[in-house]
Amino acid sequence: MSHDEASDLLGAYALDAVDGDEFTELEAHLETCPRCRAELDSLRDVAAAMGNSVEQPPEGLWSQIAVRLPERTEDDEPRPMPQLVREGDSPFRSPDPHAGSRPRRRTMLTTVGAIAVAAAAVAIVLGIGLVRADNKVSNLQSAQAAPSAAVAAALATRGHRVITLDAGGHGQQAQVVVTPSGQGYLVSSTLPALNKGRTYQLWAIEGNHPISLGLLGGSPSQAAFTMAGSTRPSHLSITAEPAGGSVFPTGPIVATGTV
Amino acid sequence: MPRIDEVSDAQLVTSIARYSEVALAEAYRRHGGAVFGLAKRVLNNPTDAEDVTQEVFLRLWNQPDRFDPDRGSLRSFLLAQAHGRAVDAVRSSSSRRAREARDALRTAESPYDMQREVWDLAVADQVASAMGELPEEERRAIELAYFDGHTYREVAQLLDQPEGTVKSRIRNGMRRMRAVLADAGVRGVDA
Repeated sequence: MSHDEASDLLGAYALDAVDGDEFTELEAHLETCPRCRAELDSLRDVAAAMGNSVEQPPEGLWSQIAVRLPERTEDDEPRPMPQLVREGDSPFRSPDPHAGSRPRRRTMLTTVGAIAVAAAAVAIVLGIGLVRADNKVSNLQSAQAAPSAAVAAALATRGHRVITLDAGGHGQQAQVVVTPSGQGYLVSSTLPALNKGRTYQLWAIEGNHPISLGLLGGSPSQAAFTMAGSTRPSHLSITAEPAGGSVFPTGPIVATGTV
Repeated sequence: MPRIDEVSDAQLVTSIARYSEVALAEAYRRHGGAVFGLAKRVLNNPTDAEDVTQEVFLRLWNQPDRFDPDRGSLRSFLLAQAHGRAVDAVRSSSSRRAREARDALRTAESPYDMQREVWDLAVADQVASAMGELPEEERRAIELAYFDGHTYREVAQLLDQPEGTVKSRIRNGMRRMRAVLADAGVRGVDA
């Protein structure tokens, strides 16, 4: 397919309105033609602008997605990620061992600022994710000290707080240690084991705004979490949620404590 | 440290590549409604739209490197994924009958009214007026392809026009839209 023929088809292609042999030939051309790719990207933005409606997604749709996320094992390799950092552009090394083998489509150099942001993001966003007692987020666990040693260190940190989350008179409770820098550990819990398909989820309550600190699993004992520096919660609360967790709390608060 | 709801989409996807469910949940919170909305509009069926939405986010989880932040926003990427899947479903034989019935109804339907469908009224206004400025035949061809999931060849049949003409109308209309939206300061959908 010639460049001009391909170019003529890009509008329809951006609308997913090309099929058959033309589709195959056009895709082959796109592989080799940065001009057409750039044109396509801008036409796709036009399509997205036309299609950008918002419906409230049905209740429970996220839970259906969350339970379908594949279980992970200790052996899982890190995966290729979006190319935010180009090797050789900066002293930051990509933490992804597979990154070097992936084909590159980038045409513009990443700015130093973007590199710093990207490198920080790996540390920060992953920090918000929770290290669970089970191994679902095993690559995070390896980045943390063993809980008992880390908890001991937290307890030795000046200004640390021990927060007891309970259900107001009921026996069940959980104890959390938080350091001034925002590192936190669940150190003990008497929360009853949940049915399969349910998980406890820890929240920082800031004003009326719950911020997920991560999942504790169905029968939590110890876990580590990080509160972002800007988070100044008044309470920490635990809810019971569908496996995979919720974006906002949907279950009842089973334990809460004042920070 | 930024909170999860303060990080950029590109950073979210980086974390998704590191198996952060929290990051995927945040991506869903930001874009799940748009993905579902477009799928529902194309499929005309909420149950099928839920399936497409699930597939789109599971695919983001399984293949986060498919998203290239240099090539557009995450919203655009996810909408393109949703549209492709919705169109595949529409074209499968099981939904063909429903589509034909729908097409029959649509011939008598009221004129274009995007406003109620689009969440960001400011952008929606710009998009609606950009579409309104298109010559009727370009707008019609684009709508039949994008919202009803027809190939441009099918559009040509429906409109009883030569395929080459329809292809050009779609291309010209899309470019015209791009220019109008750019003049209005709408660039992609950053959500």
